[in-house]
Amino acid sequence: MTPAQFLATRQPVWNRLDDLLTRIGKRGTAGLTEAELHELVNLYPSVAVDVGRARMYKLDDATQQRINKLAIAAHGYIYRRPAHRPLPAIWRFFRLEYPRLFRRMGGYVLLSTVLFMVFASGAYISTRLRPSTAYVFVPGPIDLPDGQPGLSAEDMSERFREIPNPPLAAGVMANNISVAFKAFAFGITAGVGTCYVLLMNGMILGGFIGHFANHNLQYALWSFIAPHGVLEIFAILVSGAAGFRLGFSLALPGKVTRKASLRAGARDAVLLVLGTIPMFLVAGFIEGFITPSYVEGWLKITLGLLVWALAMAWLLLVGRGAPALARS
Amino acid sequence: MLEFDIIETPENVEFQQRLAGIGSRFMAGLIDNLILLAVYAILAAVLMLFLGVGPFSYGKLIREAHWWVLALSICVFFFVYWGYFVFFELVMNGQSPGKRSMKLRVVKEGGAAIQFVDIAIRNLMRAVDGIGGYGVAGLSMFISRKVQRLGDLAAGTVVVSEETRDYTAHSDRRKKVQWEQEISPAVLTATGLKPEEYRTLYNYWARRGELTLEARGRLLPKLLTPILQRMGQTVPATSLVVLENQLDEMLKIAHKAKGNPPPMPPEVRP
Repeated sequence: MTPAQFLATRQPVWNRLDDLLTRIGKRGTAGLTEAELHELVNLYPSVAVDVGRARMYKLDDATQQRINKLAIAAHGYIYRRPAHRPLPAIWRFFRLEYPRLFRRMGGYVLLSTVLFMVFASGAYISTRLRPSTAYVFVPGPIDLPDGQPGLSAEDMSERFREIPNPPLAAGVMANNISVAFKAFAFGITAGVGTCYVLLMNGMILGGFIGHFANHNLQYALWSFIAPHGVLEIFAILVSGAAGFRLGFSLALPGKVTRKASLRAGARDAVLLVLGTIPMFLVAGFIEGFITPSYVEGWLKITLGLLVWALAMAWLLLVGRGAPALARS
Repeated sequence: MLEFDIIETPENVEFQQRLAGIGSRFMAGLIDNLILLAVYAILAAVLMLFLGVGPFSYGKLIREAHWWVLALSICVFFFVYWGYFVFFELVMNGQSPGKRSMKLRVVKEGGAAIQFVDIAIRNLMRAVDGIGGYGVAGLSMFISRKVQRLGDLAAGTVVVSEETRDYTAHSDRRKKVQWEQEISPAVLTATGLKPEEYRTLYNYWARRGELTLEARGRLLPKLLTPILQRMGQTVPATSLVVLENQLDEMLKIAHKAKGNPPPMPPEVRP
């Protein structure tokens, strides 16, 4: 067969495939009849072979590109994974996949917790030893009425009451989720960037606790950070774990290639961090609406611990013993 | 740096996808970021209108609800900031408005369509890639073999160019031909062509690889029909195959006439 004959016999086939693909491009595969779908499936293999034959016949660039493009497009439609409906997929993710993923990533969560504790304790101890260091660790105005033991939880919450509830909640959610995303993304620096995020947050918390302890205001402090803070800090630690999962997969690939290791790590890590979003939403809602409220301090602390316990119950207990899931 | 990403199919045929260069990706990113900037500006204007500050302070539309408006706009800002690319790459199968305008698309390495997880990875990674005005991304794309930024490396994606080059327009790949040697009297008597006819046909034959089939189908009958008519030959059906075969025969005669067979008209590179 000469190149010219090849062109003459195959061109109608390419035109037909082009026609089918154009129609799919406009209205999806639903735009084709059943017979046309069969036709597409039957046309594709021969056109795929044409890609090689066109190369063999040294056809012109434009034609080779055209056949190549047709084959790629058809390949894309034929070997496509079935699309998941988003809502059931999200439900399944939180109902089964995320708690399982969390338990699989337990080691990384432990690592980020320990690191955070170390950073926070360091800031706490140094603030206790030298009270002025609090101003290094904690950004923003933190002056307290010095040595005023009568300061109540009410007074502490007063600061938060200055900001209206809805924007406070929204701002806190947005900020915390951004921090979580960054803790994940900076894991690509082999975990160094994630350490930095934990260090900054740990120092602020440690310095804060130390500063209030210096002024003997522990109850006031806890009644305004515990309601939202327990869940919030926990979610930050999980995001840190996501960063470490990513960083370790890059730094220590083990027996697979670094590339493959990074892929698998990034997949686990991104799902781990995406699953923290509901926790941040709950924590942000509490911080915006309940923390500044006039509810009794001990009640607020109890609420904070209860919410965290619920989250832990979900993460540790849900989805055990259920049938194995197909990797999607 | 590679120019193509190879797709291996179950049919054992390899396809090639042209990888997008740093330049076109930068342009696409610029367009997307200009769109984002415009959205932020609109958001800020709406906010000022509701909160009654700034140049729109005559507004003060909904005094009671304005804190909810502020909360809502914080949410909208957050979704646009983190979600712009995720949303469009999800809905437009790997394209964003900027990428579409530059005819780029994100695909998995190996050609598969990208999934939500891939999109999430590559776009959350913008937190790192975006450092220094996407300097980190640029450096990564420069170093990596497949022009990948960090988000692409982690997600296992590549950005491919879907632009088909237009060969019907001007081409500067014309080969230098020594016409004095090429058009010898022997060639002209053997083929019965005039010098400019020979030159035209030879040029067509040498450059046909740069033309699309459609262009060849339009061009060759126009070139060949008058010549065949002048020589008193019957004009075959205007099928490109028949005409090119006929031209091939003619040029073969010309080469025989030149004596020691010079190389065939330069074969177009594969």
